[in-house]
Amino acid sequence: MPIGPFGIDPVIWAVLRLVIAAGLAVFVLLNGALAQTLLERKVQAWMQDRLGPYHVGPYGLLQSVADALKLLTKEDIRAKLTDAPFFLAAPAIVFTPILASFVVLPFSSDVMGANLSVGLLYLTTLGSMTVLGIVIAGWASNNKYSLMGGLRSAGQLISYEVPQILGLVTVVLYVGSLSMVDITNSQPGPLVNALFLPFAFVTYFIAALAETNRNPFDLPEAESELVAGFLTEYSGMRWAIFFLSEYGAITVVCAIMTTLWFGGWHGPGVDAAPLLGVLWFTLKTYGFVLLFMWIRATLPRLRIDQLMGFCWKVLIPLALVNIMASAVIILAFADPRLALAIVNWLLLGGLVFGLPFTQRRRLLGFRKRTRESVAMRDVRLSP
Amino acid sequence: MFDILEPLLFFVFAIGIIGAGACVVLLRRITAQALLMALTFASMAGMFLLLGAETIALFQVLIYVGAITILILFGVMFTKQDDRGYGLFFQRQTPWAAAITLVIGVPVAFLAFSFKDPITPSAKGGDLIPLAGSLFTDYAFPFEVASVLLLAALVGAIVLVKQDER
Repeated sequence: MPIGPFGIDPVIWAVLRLVIAAGLAVFVLLNGALAQTLLERKVQAWMQDRLGPYHVGPYGLLQSVADALKLLTKEDIRAKLTDAPFFLAAPAIVFTPILASFVVLPFSSDVMGANLSVGLLYLTTLGSMTVLGIVIAGWASNNKYSLMGGLRSAGQLISYEVPQILGLVTVVLYVGSLSMVDITNSQPGPLVNALFLPFAFVTYFIAALAETNRNPFDLPEAESELVAGFLTEYSGMRWAIFFLSEYGAITVVCAIMTTLWFGGWHGPGVDAAPLLGVLWFTLKTYGFVLLFMWIRATLPRLRIDQLMGFCWKVLIPLALVNIMASAVIILAFADPRLALAIVNWLLLGGLVFGLPFTQRRRLLGFRKRTRESVAMRDVRLSP
Repeated sequence: MFDILEPLLFFVFAIGIIGAGACVVLLRRITAQALLMALTFASMAGMFLLLGAETIALFQVLIYVGAITILILFGVMFTKQDDRGYGLFFQRQTPWAAAITLVIGVPVAFLAFSFKDPITPSAKGGDLIPLAGSLFTDYAFPFEVASVLLLAALVGAIVLVKQDER
């Protein structure tokens, strides 16, 4: 009779492994969300010269624990005219794919749920499923603000899925595998993919911001126009599950960026102690999480037409050019890295400097208007 | 133990496909119908998984559950809803539907029960590269035809919307 790890029967081990993986995923997701809510409030407070939460625990460290307890004990309110089965199911439909995503995240060479040969495709697929829950939440709330939020979300997420996948395709073309482990192993040294494929990274980064409903793309829950978008009718733990999913989604996309462009678990000392990979992976992932928070504290929200226009007229054409050029280069050269890097940095430069150039008339108009309004104010203020 | 699991999963997915499919036809609430259609698509993906075609299963979910169902819901939400019975519209065509279903259904059922595939399915997980190979070599022409068709549909949709605006 074959003996599995720790002398356990392999059939029992298979089930046990599944239970452990699911338990760990729930643990990581819940605690990650607790940590990120606190981090988000603290980071934004520091950037805006405030204190942030500081009453509960030392430096306010226990604030999110207190919030979680409050949310758990809140009354479960449901408005009378909501569509009951869908209203109750929507948080679960949003949360489940996010939880399932954690299965293929490669925390280190040993620590991961499963090494799927199509791991990246699996993550993309699950990412696209959350839209369904958000649209249903908007519809079932029977509230025009919720419905607007749900519809905006559908339009935005379906549009930005395209540049997101196009960004991933460039890396997959270069590495030649969809497995998260193979992609990590292709960049063991300091020469990570971000150096050769920066444009693919920026495409994915922008699309990921939109996909996770973060600023400047948080139109589905725009507080200033839509109360709270698709979240308007939700409160208590159902609302909290939406937020758990949001932070879970942020963790997942940041983990994808870490794996695809920044070497995943690789870092100093990993060869000697493989478990150190978990630390590097987590640090890199939270680096991106912090970047997301920085962006949220800095940038204003886009208008819906600007959002769509940027996706379809700027990101997708440039990403397609990038894919075509990359495919040709990878076929043409034995070591395509230099050529890929040149094309990608050129495209990135084109995006960063070309966009203000094509919009220069509008920018000049803005500047003129600002100057005029300042002058008007000065006239009004002068005695 | 896994020998029991596979038929069990097959039955779960089969009930998902047939039950949800029947509900899509029989129910009167259009949002529920759209969602049950998503369940049908997801169960189909489960069937693909059981057959060892992971890539196709994931594409099934990505495209049908993640995109097409959303578009249907989008359409449903933007059109006017009233309490008229949706089933009434189709009722005059029942004999025709029955006849066509019989003509197609009987041979399909006959084939399904008499068909025995001597080739065992290939090893699991490695279906991405053969899929890409056959798509871009053996079936390159149908693939391109499908792309052109989709492009034409895209252009057509834009033209229709533009005319509406005027």
